[in-house]
Amino acid sequence: MLFSSIPFIYYFLPLVFLIYFLVPRKFKNFTLLVSSLIFYAWGEPKLTAVMLISIATGYASGLILEKHRNTKKGRLILCLSLLIPVAFLVYFKYADFFIDTFNAATGMSVPLLRVALPIGISFYTFQILSYQVDVYRGSAAQRNPIDLACYITLFPQLIAGPIVRYTDIEHKLKARTHTTEQFASGVVKFTVGLGKKILLANTIGSFCTAFDGASEKSVVFAWVNAAAVALQIYFDFSGYSDMAIGLGRMLGFDFLENFNYPFISKSATEFWRRWHMSLGSWFRDYVYIPLGGNRVSPARHIFNIFVVWFLTGFWHGAGWNYIIWGVFYAVILIAEKFLYGKRLEKHPVISHFYVIIITLISFTIFNRENMGEMLSCFRLMLGLDGAPFITAEALYYLKSYAVIITVAAIGSTPVMKRFADKLPERARYVLTPLFIICVFLLSTAYLADGSFNPFLYFRF
Amino acid sequence: MNKKAFNIIICTLACTIVLTGFLLCILMPKEDYSYSERRELADFPEISVSSLLTGKFMDSFEDYAVDNLPFRDTLRSVKAYFSYYLLGQKDNNKIYVHDGYIASMDYPYNKDSVEYASSRFGYINEKYLKNSNVYLSVIPDKNVFLAKEAGVLYFDSERLVKDIREAMPYAEYIDIFPTLSIEDYYKTDSHWRQECIEDTAQALAEGLGIKLTGGRTAVSSSLPFYGVYYGQAALKLEADTVTCLTSSVIEKMKAFDGQNGKDIPVYDTDRISGRDPYETFLSGPLSLVTVENPEADTDRELIIFRDSFSSAIAPLLAEGYRKVTLIDIRYMNPDYACTLAAFENRDVLFLYSTAVLNNSETIK
Repeated sequence: MLFSSIPFIYYFLPLVFLIYFLVPRKFKNFTLLVSSLIFYAWGEPKLTAVMLISIATGYASGLILEKHRNTKKGRLILCLSLLIPVAFLVYFKYADFFIDTFNAATGMSVPLLRVALPIGISFYTFQILSYQVDVYRGSAAQRNPIDLACYITLFPQLIAGPIVRYTDIEHKLKARTHTTEQFASGVVKFTVGLGKKILLANTIGSFCTAFDGASEKSVVFAWVNAAAVALQIYFDFSGYSDMAIGLGRMLGFDFLENFNYPFISKSATEFWRRWHMSLGSWFRDYVYIPLGGNRVSPARHIFNIFVVWFLTGFWHGAGWNYIIWGVFYAVILIAEKFLYGKRLEKHPVISHFYVIIITLISFTIFNRENMGEMLSCFRLMLGLDGAPFITAEALYYLKSYAVIITVAAIGSTPVMKRFADKLPERARYVLTPLFIICVFLLSTAYLADGSFNPFLYFRF
Repeated sequence: MNKKAFNIIICTLACTIVLTGFLLCILMPKEDYSYSERRELADFPEISVSSLLTGKFMDSFEDYAVDNLPFRDTLRSVKAYFSYYLLGQKDNNKIYVHDGYIASMDYPYNKDSVEYASSRFGYINEKYLKNSNVYLSVIPDKNVFLAKEAGVLYFDSERLVKDIREAMPYAEYIDIFPTLSIEDYYKTDSHWRQECIEDTAQALAEGLGIKLTGGRTAVSSSLPFYGVYYGQAALKLEADTVTCLTSSVIEKMKAFDGQNGKDIPVYDTDRISGRDPYETFLSGPLSLVTVENPEADTDRELIIFRDSFSSAIAPLLAEGYRKVTLIDIRYMNPDYACTLAAFENRDVLFLYSTAVLNNSETIK
């Protein structure tokens, strides 16, 4: 079930909130667990079992690991317990990729498994892994299976993050308060996310669809499409994260922010401190630092960066384009660290331009289904295939989507937020309810009208 | 207002929106049919273990929830106005409005589609029309007159005509483009207005070598006609009126629905208040219809391979024939259809709109 759907907003949400706020405190986590399982089973009725097995493994291994910390046995148990959720992830997400690659390399034709990918498996697997590692490192294991299952399945962040660490919400699982201030803040955050997803990401998505279906491609169309793809992915994912964080607040949780205006960055390094922050910090804490981080020789440091970015790319999808995307960022980040990073800091205009170009290239790699498509897109952008500079078709779509792309471009910077922060308190008191009404009305109108409502991060 | 009161207002507002939405969704009476979109709406899905385990219930429920959303048409209008007037989008789901006329953007030119259509026509010609007088005429879609002015994408209809003429050298082409302008079409529908196509009928008659009796009078309905694009556009626009041309000759014509084996009126005025008022003309989308003209002073017969535009012009052309047969091979296999009609020494007219030729996948 998508947050940005009629069944979620007007059926699931009111029912769950009614029950959640009516039941006594001691049943709230159980209510959330049941609601989350229904939410998940709505999209994955059969594969819910995979998630439940992973949770059971996480629960049992947590209790065992707590007793065998810092011992050889404990390390072995940790490795074995990590294997189960990782094996599920590899089987469901990567098996066909490995078979396909093997077939291509050997000329054999091992049949593909064609198993369905459980929704959100990459997110909940990482949460279980972080829980197991945290317990091994010293955190207290959760003794209440309902509380642990509630943490992993918590519907606001189950299918698309942000990746919430157990240690970040451990105390909230035990005792959390619900205040009107927190609920209201959650409502505003959810509304912002809803607007980002439906009004901006989906509308820009239809521009990208128009580009993909264009009868005659052109250089300008390709570049604007690259920018549109970047904006679409940003608003899609950050919108979804905002909705998740907002729902979390309404339910009494505090999830960390996942995006912080990444397009205003002055380097790719900064970009990744602002983009999908929960994933970046997960890899930092559970892969990069255990590998030695930057407190090693330069060669080993470079190796560590490559490993982290190879895995980051591969986490996003079982395809070579994702691996290339990850390695591309590894190269850029290494170059910034060892070659031109400091010089870049001195030239803010150039550095912004540099980040925009890097972002457009990276999302073009990210967004294409296969290598052939990716290469033809780059050839088009560089005008290598004799494509015209601009066509009537491109002009039509540019004019038709000029307003929304401009609004999205401005919205991807802190300009609007700064403007809102500068408003007198009275104005905010009036404008905020109006904003909520308008976004709900328009989002519902868009959902009523169209079927174009995909969620890009579902596939991860 | 202090911060606390503000928070209470926000919480109350949010709860009111989703709870009201929830109550309306479950309490409002459900519609079976969307008149604006001319389609059946999704029913509440069957609940069973199998439908739950396969996810079929969930998928169907999503369709049901969207289709049965309270005030759905109003919400679609909100989206349309927002897209057109605030976002400045030129089209909304490919529907655009210019000078009060609504049309559906048809782009790009689909050469494969035209080739496919002409290959099907060629098949019919080769198999059944060896001793027939074969004609071709192409009806310009509204886009031909509207798209350029509206600044939306359009294809070169002259190229389409050129290609189909070249692909059908066995057919004599009758050009009706000069007889038409945008005023000859309904504002809210894709079709032409019968009261405005007398010149077109005359041009076709001259090409076919027949004489039309004329002397027609226009009879208009007092009911508003909201055409197929009206619902898709979801904007509040002026309604059209269905007007039929009648005469002593047309009044005596007899129409027969070969698909369902029953007599039908040439103008079924009961349908003006129905789901698609354009069905007034020869009862709409039927695969096989014959119109007999007992007043004809000739024994000539005409067979029209057609799309929906022919429903309005066939009664006018029937003035010059003893019998006109309309065959729609979008709804009937051409081999089967052709066994039901005789072609020997008949006039055969392929009369298709640019829109159908450019999107011919429905032709069998």
